[in-house]
Amino acid sequence: MAEGPTSPGGGSHESGDLSPRSSNVREQDRFLPIANISRIMKKGLPANGKIAKDAKETVQECVSEFISFITSEASDKCLREKRKTINGDDLLWAMATLGFEDYIDPLKSYLNRYREMEGDTKGSGKGHEGSSRKDNNLNAQFGIQNPYTQGPNYGNSQAQGQQHMMVPMQRTE
Amino acid sequence: MRQAGAYSGILSGGGISGRTGPHLLPLARIKKIMKKSSVDVKMISGEAPLVFSKACELFIEELTKRSWNMTIQGKRRTLHKEDVVSAVMTTDVFDFLIDLVHPNASDDVDLDEEHDLEKKQ
Repeated sequence: MAEGPTSPGGGSHESGDLSPRSSNVREQDRFLPIANISRIMKKGLPANGKIAKDAKETVQECVSEFISFITSEASDKCLREKRKTINGDDLLWAMATLGFEDYIDPLKSYLNRYREMEGDTKGSGKGHEGSSRKDNNLNAQFGIQNPYTQGPNYGNSQAQGQQHMMVPMQRTE
Repeated sequence: MRQAGAYSGILSGGGISGRTGPHLLPLARIKKIMKKSSVDVKMISGEAPLVFSKACELFIEELTKRSWNMTIQGKRRTLHKEDVVSAVMTTDVFDFLIDLVHPNASDDVDLDEEHDLEKKQ
């Protein structure tokens, strides 16, 4: 969006690294900023661990590929269901389908936090209805209990003997 | 922190609360990459880039940890591209990245699959 002259959706013909300048312009379009990538990478490393530039650039490319991979799958689903807008639930479904089911739980609680915050900020009934409807969708699709309403029972299947330890942390918010 | 100011500006400009935090990846950029994934991608809900900002964090962390394991196995302290390549090659869910990180690998697998299987047996 920052680059006015770049026509939306018209990047596919610019394949190949023709010149340093054009590849710079394309980098802006195709990749997330390497500083952000680097910061997140460092979180997974011990303090004395270092990351070479070529590793950062490779991960940078991988992240864009990840976004495209998931988006394409979600887009196919929308096409099949004759919907025009890709929403968050479609992406979660695509991730679960493509082997990233471990991401679903953290993403759901992230999304719930965001929806609560947006609801607080806007204070409108509309946002509230929207969020509860989407939550129900998610729960139906993935068969995962909502930690906000089911707090103490959440995760019982994995921790049968530790029920008393499953404190619904989110309720304090 | 350095980037946070600039991107929180983008966030509020895009109608998304800046209070979502400084750790986020730029949502406008995510949306742009999403739109480039397929000609069928016409409209994207406001929440979708947000889901990706967190999903990409999880993805980067996982890829980095698996790559770092390769670095340690080589008794090194600096994570290099070949560690990322090894991590991709040895992790099933990262199969979609093989062509990207190691363009000839999938050809090799296709052509030599039977040979490899024989060798393993």
